[in-house]
Amino acid sequence: MAWASAQRTPYRIFTVAHPVPLLEAPSPPSTARASAPVADAELVAQLQQGSEAAFRALVARYQGRVYRTALALLRSPEEAEDVAQEVFVEVYQTIGRFRGEASLSTWLYRLATSGALKSRRRARTKKRLAYFTSLLGFNNAVLHHPPDHAHPLALLEGQQQLQLLLDRVARLPDSQQVAFTLRHEQELSYAEIAAVLGTSVPAVESLLFRARQTLRHYL
Amino acid sequence: MPDIPARPAPDEEWDDLLRQLRAQPLAQPRPYFYQRVHARLATRAPAAALALPGWLRRPAYAVLLGGVVLVLSGDGATLRPALQGPKNAGPPRLLPR
Repeated sequence: MAWASAQRTPYRIFTVAHPVPLLEAPSPPSTARASAPVADAELVAQLQQGSEAAFRALVARYQGRVYRTALALLRSPEEAEDVAQEVFVEVYQTIGRFRGEASLSTWLYRLATSGALKSRRRARTKKRLAYFTSLLGFNNAVLHHPPDHAHPLALLEGQQQLQLLLDRVARLPDSQQVAFTLRHEQELSYAEIAAVLGTSVPAVESLLFRARQTLRHYL
Repeated sequence: MPDIPARPAPDEEWDDLLRQLRAQPLAQPRPYFYQRVHARLATRAPAAALALPGWLRRPAYAVLLGGVVLVLSGDGATLRPALQGPKNAGPPRLLPR
């Protein structure tokens, strides 16, 4: 029934499977929202009650961090944007099940890192498949190579070392790469990284130690 | 000729490199990010509303599934009279003229 009414009125778009009833078309931010920043817990409570303003505020507050986390792992603005969008879609669709065991930021970082790693695995699988397909001569498609987005700073003279570091970070095992990125690019504490990875602080220390050891060996 | 091991970066160089990493300009998604998230949510709604696995939405598979269920749920009673028919049947009677 709700679906039928949504089809009749294109700007009252849809219902989802959680308590948020309807999401209206994007509207200008309200003046009430701009008055004072709302705490994360309150934002979550409002979003669970179906507040579109709360969702907008959540996206505005975290879009940068989510996007940068994905970008640090993928090194591709397009793929990072895709992952960031997916993170917020998932937040919207599953906010009803969020019980606050972890903080909102931890949950978002977790979604962003797992989404980015999943996206990278898919791209690698696609590349391998394209490679074998080309070997068998099934098509003449050009092999897909991940775009090589040189870091803007690394393009400047004297920044090659930074680019080399980023290249080496990309070759670390997934867990080490996530830990290193969250620590040195997002500047999260060890405890926060442990919460994102679902592990202990000593385990994070170990991951970071091994990552630094590997990187320093090659730099 | 033996491989020369890579020279580990001195601590200062390493720290400087990490400082450069932290000092990167903060990347942001393109403008109107929220509108794009909203649009993506809107396109997801019809799929969520159907809530059926993709294969079940294909008529051929649905018909096949129905057939399999019918075959497996029956005990073959409908086929038995037809199989037993010729055994119990007596000599054919002539039709009256």
